[in-house]
Amino acid sequence: MAVYLATQIANHSANRAFAATVDLVAGKAELEVTSPHLPETSFPMVAATNGISAATPIVRGLVTFPDFPSEYLEILGIDVFTNAPFRTFDPASFDAGELDLLRWLGPPGSIALSEEFVARHHLKAGDKIRARLNVIDHNLRVGFILRSKGAPILDSHFAAMDIGWAQELFGRRGELSAIQLRLTNPRDRDNVVTELRKVLPKDSKVTAPAQRTEEVDKMLGGFELNLSAMSLVSLVVGMFLIYNTVSASVARRRHEIGILRSLGVTRLEVRALFLGEAIVLGLFGVVLGLVGGTLLARLLAGAVAETISSLYVLVNVKQVVLEPWSFAFAGTIGLGSVIVSAWLPAQAAANLEPVRALHGSFQEGALWNAFNPSSTWWWNGLLCLALAGSFSFLALSTGPPWLGFAAAFFVLASFSLLVPPLAFRFSAGAGKVFRALRRHRGKAAVEAELAAANLSRALMRNSVTIAALAAAVAMTVGVSVMVFSFRRTVEAWINDTLVADLFVAPASNEIVGPSSFIPPAAVHFLETHPAVETIDTFRDAELSMGAETIAVAVVRGSERRHFQFVRGNGAAIMRRFHDEVCVVVSEAFARHHHLRDGDSIELITPDGAGQFSVAGIFYDYTRDQGIAYMSERNFIRFWHDDRVNSVAVYLKQNASAEALSKAFRAGFSRNGEFVIFSNQSLRVRIFEIFDQTFAVTYVLLTIAVIVAITGIFLSLTILITERSRELAVLRAIGASAGQIRKLLLWETAMIGVLAALVGLASGVCLSLVLTGVINRAFFGWTIRLAFPWRSLAVTPLWIVAAALVAGLVPAWRAGRMILAENLRSE
Amino acid sequence: MKRTFFVRLNARPHERTVAASLCEARWLRCAAHPPCVGVASRVAATGLLLFASLCAAADWKIAEPGWRYEFPRDHHAHRDFKTEWWYFTGNIFDADGHRFGYELTFFRQGITPFAERDPKSSRFIVDDLKFAHFALTDVSKQTFRFEQKTSRGAFGEAGFDDGKRLAWIENWTLATNGDDAFDLMASSEAGTIHLHLRATKPPVVHGENGISVKAAAVRYASHYYSIPRMQTTGEFFANGKSHPFRGESWFDHEWASGQLAENQVGWDWICLQWEDGTELMLYQMRLENGEPDASSSGTWIAQNGETTHLRSSDFRMTPIAFWKSKASGAKYPISWRVTLAGQQTEFVVRAAVENQELALGPITYWEGAIDASGTRHGRAIKGRGYLELTGYAGPLRELSR
Repeated sequence: MAVYLATQIANHSANRAFAATVDLVAGKAELEVTSPHLPETSFPMVAATNGISAATPIVRGLVTFPDFPSEYLEILGIDVFTNAPFRTFDPASFDAGELDLLRWLGPPGSIALSEEFVARHHLKAGDKIRARLNVIDHNLRVGFILRSKGAPILDSHFAAMDIGWAQELFGRRGELSAIQLRLTNPRDRDNVVTELRKVLPKDSKVTAPAQRTEEVDKMLGGFELNLSAMSLVSLVVGMFLIYNTVSASVARRRHEIGILRSLGVTRLEVRALFLGEAIVLGLFGVVLGLVGGTLLARLLAGAVAETISSLYVLVNVKQVVLEPWSFAFAGTIGLGSVIVSAWLPAQAAANLEPVRALHGSFQEGALWNAFNPSSTWWWNGLLCLALAGSFSFLALSTGPPWLGFAAAFFVLASFSLLVPPLAFRFSAGAGKVFRALRRHRGKAAVEAELAAANLSRALMRNSVTIAALAAAVAMTVGVSVMVFSFRRTVEAWINDTLVADLFVAPASNEIVGPSSFIPPAAVHFLETHPAVETIDTFRDAELSMGAETIAVAVVRGSERRHFQFVRGNGAAIMRRFHDEVCVVVSEAFARHHHLRDGDSIELITPDGAGQFSVAGIFYDYTRDQGIAYMSERNFIRFWHDDRVNSVAVYLKQNASAEALSKAFRAGFSRNGEFVIFSNQSLRVRIFEIFDQTFAVTYVLLTIAVIVAITGIFLSLTILITERSRELAVLRAIGASAGQIRKLLLWETAMIGVLAALVGLASGVCLSLVLTGVINRAFFGWTIRLAFPWRSLAVTPLWIVAAALVAGLVPAWRAGRMILAENLRSE
Repeated sequence: MKRTFFVRLNARPHERTVAASLCEARWLRCAAHPPCVGVASRVAATGLLLFASLCAAADWKIAEPGWRYEFPRDHHAHRDFKTEWWYFTGNIFDADGHRFGYELTFFRQGITPFAERDPKSSRFIVDDLKFAHFALTDVSKQTFRFEQKTSRGAFGEAGFDDGKRLAWIENWTLATNGDDAFDLMASSEAGTIHLHLRATKPPVVHGENGISVKAAAVRYASHYYSIPRMQTTGEFFANGKSHPFRGESWFDHEWASGQLAENQVGWDWICLQWEDGTELMLYQMRLENGEPDASSSGTWIAQNGETTHLRSSDFRMTPIAFWKSKASGAKYPISWRVTLAGQQTEFVVRAAVENQELALGPITYWEGAIDASGTRHGRAIKGRGYLELTGYAGPLRELSR
């Protein structure tokens, strides 16, 4: 439960961090006008539109700092004359605490920073800091402190300066990033929007700032659902454990139950007794879980935020957001799972016949041996597997995508159901083998033979332990197969698409995404260098497609870059790409927007809507939201913008990449303004990002496995307490302490082997669901299945080893038990 | 010796429409650079600007002796100087004879020296801070309203000197109308006022040799002239009705790059239009020890426009009645006995309304319509005018020495 809670908190914190960012920027705006090139002259017209009570212009941009590696600031150019009704923060002077307006408006580069940023870099009023933008260093002067107004979260990566100087800094003379608006009457919004459209450029968007948060929430939804689902595995494993614990308690206290029942306690009351106990313990566990979850959340939040930043949007989780509802929700789920898992054992306790319960010679039987693994279990298991198959099919064909998780659940359920009959068979089979061994080689395997018999005698409880461990193993196997396949697929894709020899980009883009541009002189240098055969340019643009914003990569398009198209003749598609008004879209994009080859999409250009046909659909693993590629020629033609974010360089044969890098560095990157990746180093970088993405996944998996192994330890401890009489009898009839220990370790090993085998089998099935269904359904990625055979082969070994380690202490204690005490009741 | 002054440009909560602009950014503030020890300039204006401007950067032109005044040229903006204002006050009467007082002032506070401005740079860059005060006193109802406006002026909604308009912020405007006439307009929640002012006397230059000296060192000075009497007509539009007005105004225009002297805490300024066709302007800079500064001065203007410069030794101002503001707690000397021994003149001034305080923050000041009566050369004289009192509401300067 702690894991589940932690994941929820981490996700929520990331979302809130982003929402806080939006709140901070959008302030109290009710509408926001945005456009890639919003002319500032729109502002007076917008402000004068009927129904607008206040309007303020904004210019924003990102800068990095050569002196503070990996640090960045999002600078908001604000207009203090008009933004009072919007502001959620105040720029204040360092000493006086109020804004010195003359100084705010006055010298260029005067900037207001958060207290946290100032403290982090030991800055004081008047300090100069070098900020890098579009590979040029600018001087900023620490002039003011940003104080948040009411809103508790002030992201330290935010800074503000006067809008005039911001326009100069970002080279956006004549342009605004946004106009924020408040309405005289919020119910009049639609009319106002209609009025605004009349005065605004065609490619402007008028939206409520909250919509941006919604978009991002939607975008992050799949990713976060994945994490939640994975954290639920821990919860399921935990439920198995609770079931085991309560069952053991019922078994141990059957005598007490018998007495209670004979004294007139009703079945209902017995059930209530056990459920009540479970709930009390559960409550304790829930409290522990909440505390643990909160601690764990701090660990996860950073990882989650990093993944989100590298994949989706720049977000900085400054603090973990603890919401009462997430605690309440997690607590309810925790307690709910306690009740569900304690229900069956409590029911069994209630159903005990008082006479049988009190009968002295009563052994394990009543509860455990009463169970006979009939063929029903097989059938139920297979039914679940069939259900998993059908849900997979549905998730892919009709949706909704979360049916994929249902499929994954049924895979786990199916194998859990198969555990008892499998264990029964295994016990019988192992028994036979060991008996045969004994005949041939004497008494060597008596303990093993006994252990095999014991496995089926306490079949139900053992099955639950096995199923719990198997579920954890299955998750591990499933996810590692998925990640491995993913990696292999990406590798193959990179080999095909990442063929340039050198990649050049502004260094700041490494930190804040493609926000800086390469100066034309640098592009020209690379283009005309004698060692260069050809170059390809890359521009990351966000364009409007209807009401949506989509990612568009603008490329010059080299003949040597290969798209792998899902269908069609690649060469023909590329010819169209260069010559016609069209785009090629990624598989994920096509899936998201329900596009097929030959369909067209409507993009909003500065001159109005334009139709772009889809010339082809290609495999791509860069963005789960998908991406469209457009030729540079088309982009310049419709968007009148030829800036580029990065350049890929193809060298002539035998030309030295190192020599070209050196020459470029000497000319343009003396202070590290650019990053230059060789083909090899870019691959390494891509896989760094890839691994970072799955870091959270591994954390969650490790926790699931730890929970499962703790489960083995707990189960064995209970087992020994419960079977103390039986073990004592064994000792009394001549078994040595060593033999008892051996017996127990054999049992543990068998549990481990069974769990590993079942886990592997169900893990492989799960990996099919994860790669083939969930990834396709959520992200639209085609991943070719590949198995990490070596690590799969090792899995049973470490599971058995881990099980043995967990069994060591209980076994050792069993060897040391005091005979007389345990035999007294016999 | 570093010091800092504040000027708070903020209105009362209900006046927010006006002040919304300077909004929460309420402080105008500037720290003096060590070399520029200050001098206050005049006086007439609320001098907000002077407080604000404080630093006479080397890049700004300094008011120096020998300035040759030329009109209408000097009605226009002097952008080489850091600080400038156009200051109108007047006593006007409606058709029923009810008396009103008004004040409308436009301030220009230079941020970037003129030579350093880049005409191609972002239009949002503010080279001159623009703000204005408008106050209206209803003497018969004993009420007083005041407002403030400021604007970035990025889209021409505020600015200075476009040929016809000398200064404007949205719908508050000051425009020339020929060489010796001005049109004023200002709107408030209560309504809109239009005033047409025509000079009945020529401009009067204050001080000596073209500068009004503010402190011992001559270079701390301003260029300062007044049109001491302007026939005023106009209308006040409210609730769909127009109310005509008629009366007399006083116009002050002052520009400088100087500042308030360190030991000066505020000033008292009086302008009076006597019924005999003469006028008087007096100001005294008050020192920390309560004494008037020796650089205090004034001007007596004869019927024919001839002026007599008055030095601080030529007059004495003694407070005789006080009014305590509930808003700021300040105790203002709203009534004075003034003696000009050399001119055989003695008179008393009294506020037409007690509360004419512009509660605009730390430098809250009092500026309002007054009546004066006394004797000159043995004959009774009567007049009306305006009184300005600064430095009474808490410390005028917040210093960080």
